[in-house]
Amino acid sequence: MTAPLLEVTELYKRFPIPGSRAVVQAVNGVSFEIRPGETLGLVGESGSGKTTVGRCILGLLTPSNGSVRFQGRDVTLGKRRSELRGKIQLVFQEPSECLDPRQRIGNSVEEPLIALDVRRSERRARVLESIDMVGLDESMLRLYPAELSAGQQQRVGIARAMITRPQLVVLDEPTSALDPTARAEIIELLQKIQAELGTSYLFISHDLSTVRFVSHRVAVMYLGMIVEQGDAAEVFAQPVHPYSVGLLSAVLLPNPDIKYETVVSLKGEIPSPINLPAGCYLASRCPLVVDRCRAEMPPAEKLDGGHVVHCFRHREVQALDSTTDTFTRFQQEARRILGVVPAELAPESANAPSATRHETEGRQS
Amino acid sequence: MNALAGEANGPANSVRETSAVPLLAVRGLRVEFPAAMGPNKVVLQDISLSLLPGEIIGVVGESGAGKTTLARSLLGLPPVPSRVTAGEIVFRGSDLRKLKESELQRMRGKDLSMVVPNPRGELNPLLTIGRQIATIAQVHLSIGRKEAREKALDMLKAVQIPDPTRRFDAYPHELSGGMAQRVVIAMALVCSPGFVISDDATSGLDVTVQAQILDLMRTLAEKQRSAMLFITRDVGITAHFCDRVAVIYAGQIMEVAPRQAFFFAPSHPYTIMLLAAFSHSADLRRRWTVPDVRRRALPGGRGCSYVDRCPLAQGKCRTEDPPFVELTPGHFSRCHFPVVR
Repeated sequence: MTAPLLEVTELYKRFPIPGSRAVVQAVNGVSFEIRPGETLGLVGESGSGKTTVGRCILGLLTPSNGSVRFQGRDVTLGKRRSELRGKIQLVFQEPSECLDPRQRIGNSVEEPLIALDVRRSERRARVLESIDMVGLDESMLRLYPAELSAGQQQRVGIARAMITRPQLVVLDEPTSALDPTARAEIIELLQKIQAELGTSYLFISHDLSTVRFVSHRVAVMYLGMIVEQGDAAEVFAQPVHPYSVGLLSAVLLPNPDIKYETVVSLKGEIPSPINLPAGCYLASRCPLVVDRCRAEMPPAEKLDGGHVVHCFRHREVQALDSTTDTFTRFQQEARRILGVVPAELAPESANAPSATRHETEGRQS
Repeated sequence: MNALAGEANGPANSVRETSAVPLLAVRGLRVEFPAAMGPNKVVLQDISLSLLPGEIIGVVGESGAGKTTLARSLLGLPPVPSRVTAGEIVFRGSDLRKLKESELQRMRGKDLSMVVPNPRGELNPLLTIGRQIATIAQVHLSIGRKEAREKALDMLKAVQIPDPTRRFDAYPHELSGGMAQRVVIAMALVCSPGFVISDDATSGLDVTVQAQILDLMRTLAEKQRSAMLFITRDVGITAHFCDRVAVIYAGQIMEVAPRQAFFFAPSHPYTIMLLAAFSHSADLRRRWTVPDVRRRALPGGRGCSYVDRCPLAQGKCRTEDPPFVELTPGHFSRCHFPVVR
């Protein structure tokens, strides 16, 4: 087993509220690992602390407690930060807002290298390499962000992150501001880069179906805790935490006959992270709640295959719902419905795609 | 060319046993933006749609396709400086385009209403939410203060806001995003409007809250027998929520079909590409995508607007406008070579 690239242990982050004694408990004891070349999907509702975890890893926030170790070294210690420069990078949600509107694309992409004191001659070559990797044309380097589409802007964001050759990239909702086609292109680009360079990703998103198909492992966050984590396909096919079940059953796949069927349904909304309940944080919304859930926090229970869950009643959850891999079934159905090519039309078509059409078939799971 | 023809056989009709008289019928709607030089830019053309009472129709498309322009034009508020230049919008027998602005003003909020995204921008931060809902009822239904208050309270209950009597006096900033969205929905539905437009109303919400809000809108639409036009970028929502789905591209309806036909027998190459983009299979998407699109202006504005991105395009697609053909009852596709199976 390879050593993890990133190890987060018992991470806590609290934000004091100015002028009050109250504290926002944003992250409450989060532990996970990311291995080289692996994608960990971090899912949860807004306010669950996903972005805060990402920022603690990047060193943009100092954790209140716990450790973040990158290649075995603790990165939360101030003096170690500079050694890590460029090794962990970030891609933002809003591509239009993360690029300086008055800088040409070339300058934006080059900037991280200036911070790393890379020589000018080398910078030029690296910019070209990076912009080519994300599938943009060299001529775009002279343009301004406003002249690009949202999808192209996000490619620039990725080029800028990849130019330092990072080992870990935190992708904070990289596709939620994009149209479906641009989203699919960006996802495919990220997967291509990972296949070529072996970069690890922390993929933060509330788009569960995208997470299902890009992540190797997935962690479900609720009120600053990872309530369940494990192999992505397994967690999505057989979630054992009531919150994961509730989240999955709310996913609307574009097929009217396919829905995650469950008897578990969550009521209400996520409580405030200022006054956290004593027991399980989900107790007020959970249909399976028992007295014990209100009194004490369920500890982490390790199941088979690295699957970890915080729930007293995970066996009942498992027994309630039958195992059905909704997402795989959806994808198979999509292939059946959309995989048609009218044979008599395809060859003479003026726009027919070239030989690349079947190139990647089979690689995609 | 007429989307109305096939609707008598639509699923909504058979399921709901309504009279076949549509509540709202849009025919040949055209919206143009004036251009400084040259001809006006057409942002919507040849839009024909009709809705039966209680029916929910989904409109999907990418940004810039004209979805929001459509929503606003139907209410007689096309985004400035665009204008509706042709077509009719018949609501309960009268053409909204022929009404005076003052008459239209009375209908908006009462008979026609719209739910927008970003609820916080919609609500007045200085007034309590209860008062904002009550005012709408008071103005449009000509009822007294007390009665309006009762109505607003009922509405808060209907949109499942916990502890409605206390929340009545809450200000918008005291509510979470999901709660604020419910309040906006309560405002849109308090006068039991016959026609409701939802313009990406759930896009900023979390999936669990979105599911609750969708259920709610559907239940209320059914109860009040309102027709709903549901605009979204997320095709997934329409699969579980709408009776019919229309795809809009470059200002035109490319395909409209009853839900099952739309998802199990999509025929327009653009629809198929859009669905493939949601399937997370790279090979499938690539099969329906033309690499390296360079947009070419069509000579004389004729031909299919999707031609440059279409893998099935042929010579005819560049020179002739595609027909809006009916493939199966209620299933229309604007394509020379629709995919039929």
